[in-house]
Amino acid sequence: MTGINLIQDILIIILAAYMTVDQNGLVIMSWFPVIVGTITGIIMGDLTTALTIAGTFQLMMLGVAALGGASAPNYGLATIVGIFVAVRTGTGIKSAIAVGLPVGLLAIQLEVVARIIVNFLAHRMLTDVKNHDFKKMQREAWWGPALFSLQTGLPAILIVFFGPDVVKFILTVVPSWVTDGLTVAGGMLPVVGVGMLLRYMPVKKFLSYIIVGFVLAAYLKVGVLGVALIGFAAAYWYFISESKKVTSAATNTNAVSEDEGDDYDE
Amino acid sequence: MMSDEKIKLTKKDRRHAAVRYNFMACNIFNYESQMGPAVAWALAPALRKIYPNDDEYEMALENHFNYYNSTTVMSSLILGASLAMEERDGIGAKDAVQSLKTSLMGPMAGVGDTLVWVLWPTIMGSISGYMALQGNPLGAIVWLIANIVFWFVKLKMFDVGFTSGTKLITSLGERLNIFTESASIVGLSVVGALVATVVKISMPVIFQFGKVKLNLQTGVFDKIMPALLPALLTLLIYKLLGNKKWTPTRIILLVIGISLVGTFFGIFKA
Repeated sequence: MTGINLIQDILIIILAAYMTVDQNGLVIMSWFPVIVGTITGIIMGDLTTALTIAGTFQLMMLGVAALGGASAPNYGLATIVGIFVAVRTGTGIKSAIAVGLPVGLLAIQLEVVARIIVNFLAHRMLTDVKNHDFKKMQREAWWGPALFSLQTGLPAILIVFFGPDVVKFILTVVPSWVTDGLTVAGGMLPVVGVGMLLRYMPVKKFLSYIIVGFVLAAYLKVGVLGVALIGFAAAYWYFISESKKVTSAATNTNAVSEDEGDDYDE
Repeated sequence: MMSDEKIKLTKKDRRHAAVRYNFMACNIFNYESQMGPAVAWALAPALRKIYPNDDEYEMALENHFNYYNSTTVMSSLILGASLAMEERDGIGAKDAVQSLKTSLMGPMAGVGDTLVWVLWPTIMGSISGYMALQGNPLGAIVWLIANIVFWFVKLKMFDVGFTSGTKLITSLGERLNIFTESASIVGLSVVGALVATVVKISMPVIFQFGKVKLNLQTGVFDKIMPALLPALLTLLIYKLLGNKKWTPTRIILLVIGISLVGTFFGIFKA
């Protein structure tokens, strides 16, 4: 029994450490809760619980993207530690949210620290190049992924060793309205990702499409894929008609197309 | 020693550079030069072949250590094209390579981020998320397989950039803006649907007037319009995010705070 537990502990730590390296590069598993959660569920031997937790964090994460070097709450790490604690203690989704959410939020700070340390590494690599020590530069680069793996590996180590006991203690002390409140928060939190998405995108120009999507889903109960297809139909029409404008403008006057070219430089 | 004989990179050299870049990408990410060191590291073996001279090799590498950031798929295209320029013109292409990279990384990231980090995870995430809630891992498995396919697409993009060079990218550039906008249309339709389905908030508070019972949620809000509260909450969060003080983390904490207080007073139910 303890033997299996030990193997699970090690695999969970490796999974968490590898997750950041994958998300920074290969993007095959990335940090998407359903994918990470399915793997965690297989490791922990309870796919049913794992999928419920992963699905919950996945919906919370919709729209959350770390673009242009920004940091975002790590819902992938939240999923791993949440499933680990929930399955190990047998306490289910409530403890998963109670442990996963704070850990996912704290991971942002670790990412910032990792990137600051890597700044020194970048300077060392550049110095190697200036010294014509090219082999050393190639070798030292591997410190990058090694450091970034700690960003999620370290929290996972702490949770694996102390998590289940702390959670059992917390759940006996904390009143039920707190865990219920966190479940309510879990339902509301996708709004943050949706809000962030709206901030990246040209909302004012294409407000009509948000309304169309909302009405299709709220009143007509069309699924997400159906709404995406209708959106695609509109996008296709837009692309064709706007492309025609560009080509006709380009043949009329060259000056116009040069002006448009300037926009991309900003 | 200056020699006029051209060094040709083999297909294997290019594939090697593409694999190195798409693995390292953000793994040496720092706030000063962002992806720069990863680009230099990824192209290093290929550049070594192009520049047998140590001084030229150093100049070329230093050039790639400069600030760089774009979506990896699109980067593969840009870096493929810039490697082709260096293979053709040697160290003389240094400034042209730098300006190609800096002028394209922004617009390319615009379309790449919209497709790769916004549109695709939003659609896949909401479908596979609901499937997972019902205990079905199929969505997650399909997503994983798609990501493996994307890995090969990225490697292919590097080759496309290398062989068709700058011509393709500049001609693509003219339509890039329209393409990004079209992708945004799909994205915003989906966002509209998400507001109605994924954001969950309800206030099943019951008011009693004599013998008449009135449920605030089913009797009032749902009568006005479906998903009224999620729509209002989205509007509020959208407005807050426009304020620099309200970072996403603070807003998450605010939502958790409201939920706890609301649940304590019985306004929300789990």
